Amino acid sequence: MSTRYAQTVAADLAALFAARGAGIVEVPVIQPADPFLDMAGEDLRRRIFLTESETGETLCLRPEFTIPVCLDHIATRASTPRRYAYFGEVFRQRREGGNGFFQAGIEDLGDGDIARADARSLADAHALLSLLLPETRLAVLLGDQAVFEAVLAALGLPRGWRMRLARAFGSSEQLSAALADLAAPAPAGALAEPAASLVAAGDADGLAAHVARKMAQGGLSPTAGRMPQEIARRLIERAELRSVRLSPEAFAALERFLAIDVPLGRAAAELEAFARDARLSLGGALDRFAARAEAILADGLDAADIRYDAAFGRPLDYYTGIVFEISAPGAERPLVGGGRYDRLLTLLGAKEPIPGVGFSVWLDRVEQMADTAR
Amino acid sequence: MSITIALPSKGRLKEQALEIFARAGLAVALPDDERTYRARVEGRADIEIAFLSASEIANEIGLGTVDLGVTGEDLLREKLADWETKAEIVAGLGFGRADVVVAVPESWLDVDTMADLDDVAAEFRLRHGRRLRIATKYWRLTQQFFSGLHGIQVYRIVESLGATEGAPAAGSADVIVDITTTGSTLCANHLKILADGVILRSQACLAASRKARPAGDAAIIEELRRSIAGAATG
Repeated sequence: MSTRYAQTVAADLAALFAARGAGIVEVPVIQPADPFLDMAGEDLRRRIFLTESETGETLCLRPEFTIPVCLDHIATRASTPRRYAYFGEVFRQRREGGNGFFQAGIEDLGDGDIARADARSLADAHALLSLLLPETRLAVLLGDQAVFEAVLAALGLPRGWRMRLARAFGSSEQLSAALADLAAPAPAGALAEPAASLVAAGDADGLAAHVARKMAQGGLSPTAGRMPQEIARRLIERAELRSVRLSPEAFAALERFLAIDVPLGRAAAELEAFARDARLSLGGALDRFAARAEAILADGLDAADIRYDAAFGRPLDYYTGIVFEISAPGAERPLVGGGRYDRLLTLLGAKEPIPGVGFSVWLDRVEQMADTAR
Repeated sequence: MSITIALPSKGRLKEQALEIFARAGLAVALPDDERTYRARVEGRADIEIAFLSASEIANEIGLGTVDLGVTGEDLLREKLADWETKAEIVAGLGFGRADVVVAVPESWLDVDTMADLDDVAAEFRLRHGRRLRIATKYWRLTQQFFSGLHGIQVYRIVESLGATEGAPAAGSADVIVDITTTGSTLCANHLKILADGVILRSQACLAASRKARPAGDAAIIEELRRSIAGAATG
C-alpha cells in the first residue's frame, strides 16, 4: 500500500488505540526467523524474506506482528493484563504485486475474562475498520476451535482420533480425508515378534524395553528425541484405534455439526439443539460460547452481520478458541483476521500460561476498498 | 542453427550418458585434455556439448542457457521452482535410478505411514520442546510432500549436505528425506522407508529447456529426442 495512505490514517489509528487503552509497541523489522518457522511450519520459508547474520543466525523481515509482540512481552517480563497496539509494515514474498504490506492490530495478553477479552478484540477490530471505511457494511465470520474439540470429546472418540480431527479443523479437504481414514482405517503393517505379542498383551513396559534395545542397536539416544516409553504407548494406542471404526451415528453428528452456519444471535440455541438431538453434552464449551456471544452482541455490533460457521477454523496448533474474519462486500479477501491463541506464549517460552487474543488489519486491502468507495 | 547439450562431467552418470548418445548415433569426441569442459559430436557441427555437474545442468536448463541436458529428475524438481514451466523431460534414460524417500528409525515401531508421522510431528513440540527435525538436502521436495500433499505443517528442515542417513544417530535430526537406490545404506543405519514415503522415483533423463527457439533448433531437438529415446529403450 502507499506510504501516503499510511500517513493519512496514522493519526486516526493512534487516537483509536489510545481511546481503547492499547499502548503502541515498537517491533524491529529484522527478527530471528526460528520462532516464525517453529510456529507456522517450514512452508512459511518460501513466503518470507530470509537472511543470515554474520554469525550464522537465521533472520527474516517480520512477516507479521503477533509473534514479535509476544516475544517482546516475554522478554520484558511485562505484567498482565496488557494490551499492545502496533502499526507498521510486514514483508511477504509474492509472485505478483508488492512485497511490503501495512498492518495494524491489537494483541490482548493475560486477561483471564475470556468472553470479555474475545468480545473486546472483535469490537476493536470492527471499530478500527469502521473508522477507515465509515460507509461500508462489514460482515463478521466467527468460528470456535474449542466447540469443535468439545464435540469430538463428547462423541467419545479416542484421543488419537480427536487429535487428528482437531488438527484438520478449518481445512475441509484435510478434515474429509481424516474422516474417511477413520471410517475405514488403512490396514496395519504386520508387526514382527516379539513386538506383536507385547502389543497384544498391552505390555507397555516390556514393549518399551524392546524398543530401547532397538534404539541402542541403531545408535539412537533414548533421550534426545522420541523415547522408548512414548513409542510403546503409541504402539498400543494405535492398535486400539485400528480395532474401532467411526460409527455412522458419530459420523452423522459430526457432519450435522460442521454444517451449522447461522447468525451469531441464534448460534448458541442452534448448538444446544444440536447437542440435544445428538445426545451430546458439550458442557463448559457451550456455556463459554454463549457467554461470549452475549458479550459480543452487548458491544453494539449489528447481530445480523455476524455469522457463526461451525466449520470455520485455522489449522495452526496454537489457536485455541475464537477465530474471526471481517470482510466487506466486493473484497476478495478478508480485511481482518483474528483469534485466540492461548497456547502461543508458552510455545514461545513463557514460564506460565498467558492467554492471548488479537487481530490484524490488512491496511492495503482497506485502502483498496476506500479507493473503490470514492 | 545450433544447440547446446549439457552432459554430466564425471562418474558413472557421464559414462552412461556417453554410451546412450553413442547408441543413438551421436559419438561425442572427447577433448584430448580431460580438463576441458567443451566437446563436439562427430559429424554434427550443429551440436555443442558442455560438461557440467548434474545439479548445475538442472539450473542451466532452468535458466535456458543450455537447450538439452542429461540430469536426474530429482535435481530438476528440487533445483527449479515451478520446474514444469521451465523444463520438460523429453526422455527417461533408464539409468541413474534412485528413489527420494522418507525414512525413520527402525525402532519407531509405531510409525509405518505418513499418517503415523503426522501424528508424531503434531505432538512432538509438546513432548520434546521442539519441532520434529528432518535432515535433507531436498528442501523443495520435502516441503511439497509434507506440507502440500500430506498437510503436515509442523516440522523443521535441517540442511544436510552429506551422509544424511547418519543424522538420526548423530542426534541432529529425527527423520530423513534422502535418495536411495537399493536401501542398503538406510538399512545399515537402522532406518526404514515409510510405506507411502516414496516422494519420487527418479532416473536420469534428457530434459529440454522450455524457451522460444528458432524452428531449426526445435527440429534438431525433436530429432535428438527420437534417437535418444530409441537408444534408451532399445
